[in-house]
Amino acid sequence: MLSRVAENLYWMTRYMERAENTARLINATSQVLLDLPRGASFGWDVLIQVVGLDGLFREHYTAYDEASVMRFLISDERNQGSIVSCIHNARENCRTLREILPRTAWERINALYLFINSRALHAQEQSRRYNILEEIIERRQSVVGLLADCMSHDVGFQFIRMGRFVERADMTTRILDINAAVLVPRQQVPEDPAMALLWMGVLKSLNAYQMYRRHASVHVRSGEVVNFLLKDPHFPRTVRYCLDELESCVSELPHNGAPLKILRIAQRRIAGMQVDGLTPAQRHEYLDAVQADLARLHAEIATEYFNFCEQGGAALPASAAG
Amino acid sequence: MNKVFSDNFLMNIKNYPLGEFYDELIDSAHLPRPAATALFEYLARFSPAELNARRVEVDAAIMTMGITFTIYSDGANIDRAWPFDIIPRVMAAKEWRRVDAGLRQRLRALNLFINDLYNDQKIVKDGVFPLEVLAGSKNFREQCKGIMPRFGVWAHIGGTDLVRDGDGTIYVLEDNLRVPSGVSYMLENRMLMKRLFPDLFEQCEILPVDDYPTRLHETLAALSPNPTERPVIAVLTPGIYNSAYFEHSYLAQQLGAVLVEGSDLVVGSDDCVYMKTIDGLRRIDVIYRRIDDDFLDPEAFRPDSALGVPGIMRAWRRGKVAIANAPGAGVADDKVVYTFVPKMIRYYLDEDAILPNVPSYLCMIDKERDYVLANLDKLVVKPANESGGYGMLIGPRATPEERARFREHIIADPRNYMAQPTLNLSTAPTLFEQGLAPRHLDLRPFVLQSENMYVTTGGLTRVAMREGSLVVNSSQGGGSKDTWIVEERR
Repeated sequence: MLSRVAENLYWMTRYMERAENTARLINATSQVLLDLPRGASFGWDVLIQVVGLDGLFREHYTAYDEASVMRFLISDERNQGSIVSCIHNARENCRTLREILPRTAWERINALYLFINSRALHAQEQSRRYNILEEIIERRQSVVGLLADCMSHDVGFQFIRMGRFVERADMTTRILDINAAVLVPRQQVPEDPAMALLWMGVLKSLNAYQMYRRHASVHVRSGEVVNFLLKDPHFPRTVRYCLDELESCVSELPHNGAPLKILRIAQRRIAGMQVDGLTPAQRHEYLDAVQADLARLHAEIATEYFNFCEQGGAALPASAAG
Repeated sequence: MNKVFSDNFLMNIKNYPLGEFYDELIDSAHLPRPAATALFEYLARFSPAELNARRVEVDAAIMTMGITFTIYSDGANIDRAWPFDIIPRVMAAKEWRRVDAGLRQRLRALNLFINDLYNDQKIVKDGVFPLEVLAGSKNFREQCKGIMPRFGVWAHIGGTDLVRDGDGTIYVLEDNLRVPSGVSYMLENRMLMKRLFPDLFEQCEILPVDDYPTRLHETLAALSPNPTERPVIAVLTPGIYNSAYFEHSYLAQQLGAVLVEGSDLVVGSDDCVYMKTIDGLRRIDVIYRRIDDDFLDPEAFRPDSALGVPGIMRAWRRGKVAIANAPGAGVADDKVVYTFVPKMIRYYLDEDAILPNVPSYLCMIDKERDYVLANLDKLVVKPANESGGYGMLIGPRATPEERARFREHIIADPRNYMAQPTLNLSTAPTLFEQGLAPRHLDLRPFVLQSENMYVTTGGLTRVAMREGSLVVNSSQGGGSKDTWIVEERR
């Protein structure tokens, strides 16, 4: 597998994953906001903080009103993380991968791109947004399903999975982190009904509400939610699950010592974390450390696989070789 | 012919504004040519509105499938769907077999010619091919002298453009021996037609085209310097911004080859070519390159090329890697050299050319140049080494200023120009919202040669979509059609 191709596969799925996560985040948040009492402390700015783009947002917008936040997250091409940008970038990556991927994968990603381009403006309208974003999610999932079913689960496929799970674990920690570190201190009573609604929103934004109720608890309490989303080994959006998947991907790859080592550190960190009794600040510190682990993992993957030759990892063969 | 046709059928053809040109599907009596009868019987089932609906459906399918052609000037929007016309171009198998034989003959002679030029130059010594043409050739590469590629073949993939004149004669317009493109559209067009009109294929006896990728693979694999092992084949592309990127990617996929860019490759101290993979370097045996000689190797050709691979010529000269088409093959892809092809066929094969050349005037010959300069308003003037329809003068349609400019070009550099009479290019019915209308077209079959020879069944039909236009090049607003070679019904 060419290094350039591996890198494009990885980024293609990271972008697709990010687009879906953002779409779901917006839809779930919109639902929660409808239920909140007037004057609740929660606002649209939280979404900007979750995606970590406060600075960029303030460069271009003056207020955190719904219209601005939606435009920024959905259609603003100045934001490389907006849904439109992500799908555009995924498509550009996919274009260089047409001979690697099943042909329908390109067709579906291309169709998704054409879809979002024609609908991006409507998606800012409250009444149409939900359906448009749901369709983005659905179309992206059809690509995932197609790849799982119609592509050889070879080395290239591992890069596809890695892009997905690195991005997903990152998003889950961000959503937890923002809600833990930003919201809780504002609310003196963490388990008040509004907070339960917010944590429900968190679960829904990760599509985890139903599974949480089945496997963790019928009550939505912050500690239990955080515990579930970090440590549950079966739900595919928990940090633990993502790390386990990443471990199985990396195990399939050559010279994987360095990335595996970081994965083990991250896995131990999650396993050793005692959620109950943590103050929000401590929780934030933990999540920060997990995010740093993910960043290091990404850096190692890049060093080992995307820039392997430049690193002198394999010296040019002497004339006797070949 | 006393077959009973439905009203709809007759309507379709009766209203067809047959021009003064030879039409590929409809004869001067407004009846379908024999090979196209079954097609028109089928089309008669559709009302104009239904047919139009199919046309719209095809356009949508093309967008989704992302069958695109890149236009340089479109700025950020680098993709453009290439217009596809759903009415196929039909040719009788009997006529095609003669064309097929003519193409084989032509490409055999051209490869013998290239190999001769880079080795003994017998054709020059025997006075058949003038030294001054060779001396003026931009695409003759000193770096290739004395090389004998496997099977003596240089142009492994050729695309020869054919046109039909007013009297029905098929002429060779030009030979593309550098990096001819378009074969992916030939394959995609057929797939589109099968998707959209499956029942049509049950009714007509249309010869298949889909074995091209297999044959291309065989052609390339036979070139491998390591014939005992399964060869590693790479398609070398200039990258995503190249107009034919879609095709490069498509062919790599069809061949099971690796699609590489110059930066993915490196030449080792052992003169072998390697690609950079996630697990280190891996040797490549055969490179199907889709970049021009000039950009292939900054060490050997243009030092400013960022697309190529430093040292790749060295690897090729030492026989460590095969390159298709071979560097230097473009020497025969020259519109002045073209005029000598019938003589080459006589010289190397001792045969008469089966497919005639378009009569041509060489500006390097005084008498012919005088004729060209005196008749600029009647002739098409072409520079020797351009492709894609760039830099041409279509005399009858040019302004006096354009003609004056070409006169200066020709006088300044006569070796670089040749001229041909404007042909009455044939037409074929093409579907527009208003109904069928004739449009001019050509045909580009592809010819493969290494250990064996292969000619595509038909080829890519390119159509000038604008009314009256003669320019079919995809880079200049042309479109395409599916090309059918059919066994005629008795």
